[in-house]
Amino acid sequence: MNPLNPHSKLQRLSQEQTLSEQQVQAQQQQQILEFATAEEMIRYDAAQTPVPASVTERLQSSVGPVPPRSWWRRWLGQAG
Amino acid sequence: MEEPQPVASSTPVRSPGAAPGDRGSVGLAIPELAAIYEENCRPIYYLALRMLGDPTQAEDATHDVFLKAYRKLGEFKGQSTIRTWLYRITINHCQNLLQTWHRRHIQTTDDEELWERTAGASESPLRILETRELGQRIQKTLQAIPEEYRLLLLLVADEKLSYDEIGTLTSQTSDAVRGKLHRARKAFAAHFRKTA
Repeated sequence: MNPLNPHSKLQRLSQEQTLSEQQVQAQQQQQILEFATAEEMIRYDAAQTPVPASVTERLQSSVGPVPPRSWWRRWLGQAG
Repeated sequence: MEEPQPVASSTPVRSPGAAPGDRGSVGLAIPELAAIYEENCRPIYYLALRMLGDPTQAEDATHDVFLKAYRKLGEFKGQSTIRTWLYRITINHCQNLLQTWHRRHIQTTDDEELWERTAGASESPLRILETRELGQRIQKTLQAIPEEYRLLLLLVADEKLSYDEIGTLTSQTSDAVRGKLHRARKAFAAHFRKTA
């Protein structure tokens, strides 16, 4: 690898960056988490657990289309 | 199947300024449902996930719970918070499913005695190294302890619920909740260490 070649320099920088990111990731993975109680641990786990987006889509199709606003509500500019 | 109940306009769950047809940040076009879902979907999904132990079934249960809640919203009297009401629906729904599947865990007295003898099990902190495995280990542990303790810990983990509300949800006094919580913590800690 020619050190004066800008491409190889860029490649080396990229490799270093990847290595550094991997090291940070490894450190994070090895981090020991400590919880005083079971519920504290469960609370942490709950916060890390996302709800699948498909639930929203299914729910929307189950409740059906939104009824159109009546003409007089539109005319009066009422929300409901 | 039941028809959707009319929702009273005074129901205090509509997002301010929201009109039918508006899609909230969660993508639901019914403002009443969107507001309830956005605020409560995470704890409800998590409770279902840990009660049923299966992400697909938890997804189905979450859908069914919110659909049921939407259809029964007109019957909601406001005697409890919306979250407590949703928890009640979720617990009943999941317990019915568990009964149907014959997946109830039967507790033995020997186990309880073992946890009681485990010195300081609830006092020493619970440590984990690999966060990616945390969910699996929690699931294994919850499935190994009695259903009553499992539910208690899952509800106590929600800081928005008071001991009184947990007592109402589990049909006992708040003092009984406090007493059982101590045993539940011990049982959890003893089993959690076994999952390492």
